[in-house]
Amino acid sequence: MKSKTFDFSLYVITGENYHPGRKLEQVMEQALRGGADIVQLRAKDAPKREVLAQARMLRDLTARYQVPLIINDHLDIAQAVSADGVHLGQEDLPLAEARAILGPDRIIGISTHNIAQALEAQAGGADYIGVGPVFPTGTKPGRQAVTTSYVREAAERVTIPFVAIGGITLDNVDAVLEAGAKRVCAVSAIVGSAEPAETCRAFKHRLRAFAAMAMPDPASKRIRVNGREDWTNAGNVQELVRQYGLQGARIVVELDGVILSREAWADTQLAEGAQLELVHFVGGG
Amino acid sequence: MIEANANIDPLVIGGKRLQSRFFLGTGRFPSPAVLQLALEASKAEVVTFAVRRVNLDDAREDSILQHMQERELTYLPNTSGANNADEAVRIARLARAAGLGTWIKVEISANPRTLLPDPLETLRATERLAAEGFVVLPYTSDDPVLCKRLEEAGAAAVMPGGAPIGSGLGILNPYNIGLIAQESRVPIIVDAGIGSAGDVVQAMELGADGILVNTPVAKALDPVGMAQAMRLAVEAGRLSYLSGRIPRRQYASASSEAEGVSKPALSLDTDNNGNSARDVKLDAAIAAQGENAAREAAVALASDIRQHAAEAADAGKELGGIG
Repeated sequence: MKSKTFDFSLYVITGENYHPGRKLEQVMEQALRGGADIVQLRAKDAPKREVLAQARMLRDLTARYQVPLIINDHLDIAQAVSADGVHLGQEDLPLAEARAILGPDRIIGISTHNIAQALEAQAGGADYIGVGPVFPTGTKPGRQAVTTSYVREAAERVTIPFVAIGGITLDNVDAVLEAGAKRVCAVSAIVGSAEPAETCRAFKHRLRAFAAMAMPDPASKRIRVNGREDWTNAGNVQELVRQYGLQGARIVVELDGVILSREAWADTQLAEGAQLELVHFVGGG
Repeated sequence: MIEANANIDPLVIGGKRLQSRFFLGTGRFPSPAVLQLALEASKAEVVTFAVRRVNLDDAREDSILQHMQERELTYLPNTSGANNADEAVRIARLARAAGLGTWIKVEISANPRTLLPDPLETLRATERLAAEGFVVLPYTSDDPVLCKRLEEAGAAAVMPGGAPIGSGLGILNPYNIGLIAQESRVPIIVDAGIGSAGDVVQAMELGADGILVNTPVAKALDPVGMAQAMRLAVEAGRLSYLSGRIPRRQYASASSEAEGVSKPALSLDTDNNGNSARDVKLDAAIAAQGENAAREAAVALASDIRQHAAEAADAGKELGGIG
C-alpha cells in the first residue's frame, strides 16, 4: 500500500470527542476533501473492537482519497486492516520492536518532546516524528508545551520529516510555520470545526504560502489559477495538475490564454506569473 | 404506416444519424443518480453540458462525465456564460480540447433576467465556429429571418427557443416556430421554454425536427417520469406531423354518412340544427334544382354561418380566448 517516499503537509488526527453528533466517517471525509494528506486514527480509551471497526472504515475512506492511514499505538490493528503505518508515543512499544514486527515497508512515526528524543527516533529509523505539543492542548492535558523554540531546533537539526503538533489552530499556525515547520498537525481545530473541509483548505493555503515565501524555494513560483493566486514548485503543467489531484480527470488547461493539449503538459514549463485556467464539463442545458 | 423510425425518418446533424429526436440537458438534476435514470428513460443520444472552472479546493467533486462514460452519446457542450462571440469561441475551443467531439451549442445571453440570446453575437460566433470546423447548433430567438441567416452562416442545426430558458411557458409564438421549421434546410431543434410533454408535442407538430430540454425534466416532481413522457411526446408529435393533421374547419363534419339515419322521415325536414342535415340540404338543392336554387340555399347557409360564428366567439371568450 505505502511507498516509503511519502510526504505530506497537513496531518489530521481523529478526535471523536470534538464532534459530538457527527459521525467519524463524515468528519474525516470532510477533512480529506479539504486536503488532509495523512490521517491518523487515535482512540486511546475505546474498546479494541471498536477501534478495529473504525480502522476498517478509515482504511476504505483513505484508500479512496489515496492518502496514507496511520494507526495510533495498535500495531495489530494496523496489520489487520493493512494500514500504512503506526504512530507511537514515548511510553508505547519502542521503535526497534515495532520495526521488527512491522518490517521495513510500513511507516512508523514517533512523538517527541525534546531534541534528544527527536535525534534518537531519527537514528532508530523512524519515518517521521511529531514535534510538540507546541501549544497547550486539551488532547494532551497536563503536558508542558514545548513552544516554537523546539520547532526551531527541530527545523535546524532533524533531517527526516517532522510535523508540528499540539494546540495548532489557524490563529497560531503562522508562528509555527515561521519557526520552520513545513508540516503541521491539528486535531480539535479541524475535526472540532463546523466546516472541517474549509478549515483544511485554509491550513493548506497557509502551508503553501509559507512554503513559497518564508522558506524561499528556488523552484517555487507564484502563479494564478482559475483567478486565484497560488504558489507551486511544480516544474511543468503535468506536475501542477497532479498537485491539484486532477490527474485522470477530464480537464482542459489554458495557459496564458492558449489551450494546451494534454500531450504538451509534461513539456510545458511553468513560469513565474503564469496564468492558468483549468476547466471541465458540468451539468448544463 | 409511418413510423418514428430513424431508418425511414432519420435526423441527421453534422453527418451524424441520430435515432432519437430528444436532446437532454444535464443541469440542475437533484442527484447524479436521478440524472442517470432520466437519461435512460429519455433514450436521448445528444446530451448538453456547460464548461466551468474546476473547483481547486474540491478536486474530487463529481464531474458530470463520470456518470455517463458507458453510454454511446453525442456531447453537445454549450457556451453558456459567454456574453459575446469572442467568449463563445473561446469556450467552444476549450470544450473541443476535452476530446469529446466538435459539436457546440452557441449560447450567448444578452440579458441576465431573460437570458434571451444576443442575435448579432450569436450570428458572429456561428460564422466563426463553422469556419473552424465545429458542428454548430446556435440557440437563438424564434425569429424566422435570423434562423435563416444562421443556417446560411453554417449552422448544422438551428435551435430557436419556444420561450425564455427555464420559464416553462411553452411555445409562445407557434406561428414563428412553424414558419422556421417550414423554411429551414437544416434541422430545427426547439430549445428552451418547454414546460411539459404537451409543449413538446406542439413543437413537433409544428414541424420541429427535435427538442432540447433540461429544466422541465430536471425540476419535474419526478424527473425520470417526465423524461419518459417527453420522449413519448417527441415520438407522438413527430408521427402526428408526418401523418398529416386534418385542416381546421369552422363546423363539425360527421364521422358517419347522413344517409340512413333511423328516425321518422318528418324529423329530417324539421330538424335543421345539425350540420350534416344542412350539408345534405345544400347538396340536394344543387343536384335537384340547379344553380339558382343552390345560390338561395347558399345564402341561407351563410346566414347560419354568421350566427354560429357569433356563438362560437362568445364560447371562446368564456373559455379564456383559446386560439
